Amino acid sequence: MQLAPAELLLSLVFAPLLAAIAAVMLGARAGRLLAVMVCLVLAIQLLFLGQRFSADGPFDLALAGIAPPLGIRLALDGLNLLLLWLVTLVYLGTSLHAWASIGAGARGTAFWPPWLLMLSALNGLLLSGDLFTMYIGLEIASLSGISLIALDRKADALRAAMRYLLLAMLGSLVYLLGVAVVYAITGALDFALAGSRLPGGAVTIAALLLMTGGLLLKSAIFPLHGWLPPAHGSAPPPESAVLSALLVKVSLYMLYRIWFWMEVPVAGLVSAGQLLAAMGAGALVYGSIAALRQQQLKYLVAYSTVAQLGYLMLVFALPGAWQGTIYHLLAHGLAKAAMFLAAGNMIWALGSDRLDRLPGLDRHIPASVFAFALAAVSLMGLPPSGGFTAKWLMLTAAWAAQAWVWVLLLLTGSLLTAAYLFRVFALTFAPRSPRRRAQPVRRPHPLMELSALALAMLAIGMGFSGTPLLDVLALPPQLLPGAAPGLPAPLHLTPGAP
Amino acid sequence: MTASLTLYMLAASVLAGLGIYGVLIAGHLLRKLLALNLLGMAVLLMLITLGARGTGAPDPVTQAMVITGIIISISATSLALALLLALQRVTDETHLDAEPLPPVGEDGDAAGSR
Amino acid sequence: MTAGTLLDFLIITGLVWLAWQVVAGRELFRAIIMFIALGLAMAVAWARLGAPDLALAEAAIGAGLTGAMLLATYRRLLEHNPAKGGQRYARSSRLALPVAVMSSLLVMLLGLTLVNIMPVEGEVAGQQAIQLMQAVPMENPVTGVLLLWRGYDTLLEMSALVAAWLALRILQPQDAATLPPLSSSIPLLQALLAAAVPIAVLVGGYLLHAGGKAPGGAFQAGAVLAGAGVLLGLTGSLQRSTRASRLLRAGVVLGLIVFSVLGLGQLAFGQPAFAIPGLWTIYLVEGALTVSIALTLLLLFLGSAGVRRPAP
Repeated sequence: MQLAPAELLLSLVFAPLLAAIAAVMLGARAGRLLAVMVCLVLAIQLLFLGQRFSADGPFDLALAGIAPPLGIRLALDGLNLLLLWLVTLVYLGTSLHAWASIGAGARGTAFWPPWLLMLSALNGLLLSGDLFTMYIGLEIASLSGISLIALDRKADALRAAMRYLLLAMLGSLVYLLGVAVVYAITGALDFALAGSRLPGGAVTIAALLLMTGGLLLKSAIFPLHGWLPPAHGSAPPPESAVLSALLVKVSLYMLYRIWFWMEVPVAGLVSAGQLLAAMGAGALVYGSIAALRQQQLKYLVAYSTVAQLGYLMLVFALPGAWQGTIYHLLAHGLAKAAMFLAAGNMIWALGSDRLDRLPGLDRHIPASVFAFALAAVSLMGLPPSGGFTAKWLMLTAAWAAQAWVWVLLLLTGSLLTAAYLFRVFALTFAPRSPRRRAQPVRRPHPLMELSALALAMLAIGMGFSGTPLLDVLALPPQLLPGAAPGLPAPLHLTPGAP
Repeated sequence: MTASLTLYMLAASVLAGLGIYGVLIAGHLLRKLLALNLLGMAVLLMLITLGARGTGAPDPVTQAMVITGIIISISATSLALALLLALQRVTDETHLDAEPLPPVGEDGDAAGSR
Repeated sequence: MTAGTLLDFLIITGLVWLAWQVVAGRELFRAIIMFIALGLAMAVAWARLGAPDLALAEAAIGAGLTGAMLLATYRRLLEHNPAKGGQRYARSSRLALPVAVMSSLLVMLLGLTLVNIMPVEGEVAGQQAIQLMQAVPMENPVTGVLLLWRGYDTLLEMSALVAAWLALRILQPQDAATLPPLSSSIPLLQALLAAAVPIAVLVGGYLLHAGGKAPGGAFQAGAVLAGAGVLLGLTGSLQRSTRASRLLRAGVVLGLIVFSVLGLGQLAFGQPAFAIPGLWTIYLVEGALTVSIALTLLLLFLGSAGVRRPAP
């Protein structure tokens, strides 16, 4: 049996799916072993697929041998290759953390199957070239992810999961209506094919707005962010990490696919893009200020996600910032996953998530505090780190486009990030008050500390691997014509272009 | 056939409006879920109506999409119901808002039932 | 006005009235009943629109099982706290009405525009499916789309159901002792059941078999079988259990396993993945899906990870 490289794409979806089934049948012990093994297998496959991609360029696979419009297409290009790597690395790190922090007991029995199912759904969504298949993938990922928030059935987590679920249901219905409109006017669901058939005009705009609105809600973009902080703040740490690093990112990924790959022939897109970017700016400022005001560590980290998601909207106003934006998405994913794991360890050690309990913690769990610090370096955009490279690329693009407002916002964002993260450091390194000195500090399992540290180091390491990663990340088709950074954005084609 | 399609499209948009209204005014979580399911029905009705355009048989792809939509909606609804029961077991709440909302007027809600 | 248009007019009037009752009805219990009625009216509407497969699915799943789940939840909420059953809070939101009216008008505008335009030229997915129908040993294009050409979506859809069941394993009452029994046995219902369950099994089997030619298929058959299970649960012949036996778990994931293995197995024969060949493989996949759908839907109704026979 000779497999074509494209057929290997299937295993990215089915290896975790079959592992989830095995975890259902064989129990928690098998589940956690399989989770780690599946991540390793995925990494090996991605190495191979990446090699084929560098040699031959993007490739795709028509399922059941039926091409679109009827069939479903799986496709690999630079963008989803990088995101698949992000998913795999974050899942590897968080699964190792969960190995110790969730374990193989009763919690593990409930945890590992949906955990693996979510991995399968995330990969399936990223690989799919079909608007409807992406919808189903996003639903499976959301349902599994939401149920895992409530793993410990604490009141806060249950409320947060419920709020998240209601908004997710609303968001998917709005998105689904958009897809229905696209199918009604193009007769296709494959985003490239449907995009090439979109006629322009009011109906096309309506479809685009519906899909965008639904996805913005699911990505928690300001001012639709309300559900995110309680959900990410109250979930078990590995789950918070995956929610912040991956689940909100894949719906943004869908947004990028729709905006930049469907080549929507609508003239007003530029101003709509400005609006999206303005929402991003709002997220950046609001999320950072809210993070400054939090008294609980995980909520601080969760509000930081609200803020950092703002950067990912910049590209809608400034297509030249494409590379910087994706670089930020990856670096933030790694750094935020590391930060949630480290924060989880700190809370585990103290038995409380209140910030005022932090003083003196550096002496007890230095590895986790160090991981938190490394992740913070990347989030603040200090060199050398993935976050620095990302912000540098975005700044260069904004500078070249003479988008001074954005230059200012990018700098302010970094300052605000530094402000709320230094608040954590100041407290952590402060001496313990004599009254608290007697309080016991639990030591987390080494695996919990090492996984946080490894992910943080990857975020820092991204500062040294800019060129190879950016080479993989070709420009999206719509940005190609004359899209040197800084030129006025060719965000749309001319109406009715072939 | 076109006349009827127009009628069904009108019904779908009214149902969608009612669904959104319901989501916004509902306090009890079961009510929110009813409204969300109503909105879902409206979207699916729209999809089917669009699939029934033209002269031949209705579009089988839209029909398959609707079946998927029904399955996704029962999956999400059952998760929400399980969350609701767990929430009530732990907190005794059936509303999301921490503070009980004052009962409001025109539906004749009995004041002080809480 | 032709008789058909008159009928359509009656149906949509019913739809709108029922929907209004769901949203604005005073009693929560009544709102749920109205929701079930709405689902049935919707099924009639879909049959009118030439989609009997969907009418079946909506009646069985959208109205029947969803309705049963809502009612069961309502009852469990009451059992937990009888005082709060009648809560009829509504939020006062000044935005609600304008937002709802605006969105309704926008959807109306969009919908009415779309009704009068057809897809741009070029091959439409649905037409492609109808053309491909001639080459396969089936006559129902919906089943063709669900199993042959977009089977991958169907497999994912099955995973969504399984994800909901996995969530139950987290959210169900953890202590078996606190899991209240569904109901005690009622002699009359037992007698009724003796007839209803075999009929449901027959109907389910028929729907599964018919799916190739006539309306029906794995989802409808699974829903009818789950309905039989719901009856057994309501009369106390099945009880909820916090633990699922190995056999039950195998049943829940059977559809995923068979579909994945057969779909990927095609690669070994040099065929494209998920190019399901021949009638017997179709029946195999459909049969496995039916078992899994029936079991999962039943467990979702019961609100527990597992099910057991009542203690004698």
